[in-house]
Amino acid sequence: MHNALQRYGVRLLVWAVLSALGCLLLARWELAQLRDAFETDARISHRLLSQRAVQHDAVLATLALLQPNAPSASPDSAEQRLSSVYPQILGVQRRDPGGSWSGAGLEAAEQASRQARGAVLANLDFNAERPRYQLVLAGQPASFALLIDVQASVPWADWSMPVQTSPVRVTLEHAGQAFVVQPGHMDEAGWRFEFHKHLASSSQPFDVVAIRQVLWVELPWALMVLWVAAVAAAVVAWSAWQVQRSARRRAEELLRVGQVARLNTLGELAAGMEHELNQPLTAILANTQAAKRLLNDEPPELPTALRAMDQAVAQARRAADVLARLRRTVEPSGTSQPGESVELERVVRSALDLLEPECKRRAVAVTVQTEQPATVFAERVAMEQIVHNLLTNALQALDQVPATERQLMVHIAIEQGAGVLRVADSGPGIAPDVLPRVFEPFFTTREGGLGLGLSLCETLVTGMGGALRAQAHAPRGALFFLSLPLAPMGASTP
Amino acid sequence: MNVPLSPLIHLIDDDAAVRDSLSLLIGTVGLRVQTWADPQEFMRSFDRLSIGAIVLDVRMPGISGLTVLDTLVAQGVDQPVIMLTGHGTVELCRRAFKSGAAEFLEKPVDDEVLLEALQSAVRQHVRSRERHQANQQAREHYAQLSEREREVLGLIVEGLTNKEIGRALGLSPRTVETHRANLFAKLQVDSLAHLIRHYASLVDSTET
Repeated sequence: MHNALQRYGVRLLVWAVLSALGCLLLARWELAQLRDAFETDARISHRLLSQRAVQHDAVLATLALLQPNAPSASPDSAEQRLSSVYPQILGVQRRDPGGSWSGAGLEAAEQASRQARGAVLANLDFNAERPRYQLVLAGQPASFALLIDVQASVPWADWSMPVQTSPVRVTLEHAGQAFVVQPGHMDEAGWRFEFHKHLASSSQPFDVVAIRQVLWVELPWALMVLWVAAVAAAVVAWSAWQVQRSARRRAEELLRVGQVARLNTLGELAAGMEHELNQPLTAILANTQAAKRLLNDEPPELPTALRAMDQAVAQARRAADVLARLRRTVEPSGTSQPGESVELERVVRSALDLLEPECKRRAVAVTVQTEQPATVFAERVAMEQIVHNLLTNALQALDQVPATERQLMVHIAIEQGAGVLRVADSGPGIAPDVLPRVFEPFFTTREGGLGLGLSLCETLVTGMGGALRAQAHAPRGALFFLSLPLAPMGASTP
Repeated sequence: MNVPLSPLIHLIDDDAAVRDSLSLLIGTVGLRVQTWADPQEFMRSFDRLSIGAIVLDVRMPGISGLTVLDTLVAQGVDQPVIMLTGHGTVELCRRAFKSGAAEFLEKPVDDEVLLEALQSAVRQHVRSRERHQANQQAREHYAQLSEREREVLGLIVEGLTNKEIGRALGLSPRTVETHRANLFAKLQVDSLAHLIRHYASLVDSTET
């Protein structure tokens, strides 16, 4: 219980950490993307606005340089025609020598311009109904002033953002006044990106301020949820795989231990049997050979020879008794074997599952064909052993043919009221003279083989009321045919 | 020497049927057999002076045949020992030979193999006993020689002539002649070759 808690705890922790890390990275990546986009937009805005400011400077400088001599009041004058070319320029004023400006502050601005040797700002009003400012350049003989509409001087045609919907707020700020170029969305929560840069014009050094407020909802929530779900799925899959792997390991271990135990028992049995049988055999041999010698004597010593033969007979009986005793000890008591319903396909699948690494290593193509699902009445452990043995034999036979020709076919059907399992391989097959002997104990064609696998299988199958046969498989290979009585209808399938 | 009896084989096996049948078989070639069921009893009471061999089963209750073999060898028993086993492994075989077994046979054993092994073991034992006996006799005769006769014998064995021996020991050739005749008589030899064959080794061993 504690263990399970610990195991689940570990998995939960792994999931939580991976999820949090992934979400963090996703959020950061998204924010970086947004910041890049914002900075690009802000720079573009700054450049466009700067270009306009520089244009104003250039127009004014051209006027001051060319000194168009037409009276400024005339509608045809160059000054007045400027507005049609540059809509943001609302008007041009000219002050000829001796003349005067028609607005306040222009006089002082001209003085400043003369000193600065450049255009100077005057009468800036961002809060007016039409935000505006004037630009004054002192010239010789006449000085000029432009009245510029701020709203119109924004190059909307080239603007990179949708003005009404963009979340970026762009303002022009100067001397405590601010002109909102683009409103954007302002909010308190979230992350704030800011951009400050003065226009690239010394006469109009307005500060371009761009602000982007990133809201919580703008984080990549869908991606994050997807990531968290993916991690959860991966953790679940991983732990399922682990469970399966440990189950397989345990099953393999059990099978191996079982085989080793059987072999140990067998070894002890063989040693004991050897001693038990060697004594009577020694006596039989010595007695008969002594009798032979006695009969060959001249004259033959009949009474002694007869006694020796009697002894030999008695010893032969003793040997037979040893075997009978052994059989009584080893044989399962009675026929009350615990039978149950065993699904053939399930047994085959679980055995193949265990042998999967072997199949992979040998590159054997395995096909399982279930013509009719068959549930037989048998002993489960014995069935597992038998199927495992048959499959292992087939795999070993396949070692003797090239990897491309290795095929293992399992076929399940119901024939004549019995569950039938066929295991066929494309190996070298069984030689006809060997075929009748394959179920003999201690008969083997394999180097280092004990020759007990098939013999044990046959004993088990017969014990369960079934039959096991070996035959040739067309076009090549061996076929083992196993038939077992079907389980009675309605028997429980554990 | 005793009346030459036929050799005696000691057969030790815990199985009565094996004892009976093997003793019957061994008896067919004229060898006498004494059987023992208990190895301890055998070691306590068998005739150590008898000519013959010992047949020992490896697997017996209470005591292993190998242990019995080790004990016999340690006690200086000179009868050759043939080991019999029902479960012969290379390791067992190696141990048996290392401990001094004359032969190692597997049960069930073929009559010719067993009898051949027994006869060769008996022959070997007889020869070793004879050698031993001759040695014993030579020793007794040698003990009867005087100091001077031993000196003369030593020089004879070295291949010196009577004249040379006389010079070496400061004796007249006639006196050397007398000693020589005496020691030939005491040692019961009639030729120089006989003398050297039986007594050269004794001279060497007493000189050093």
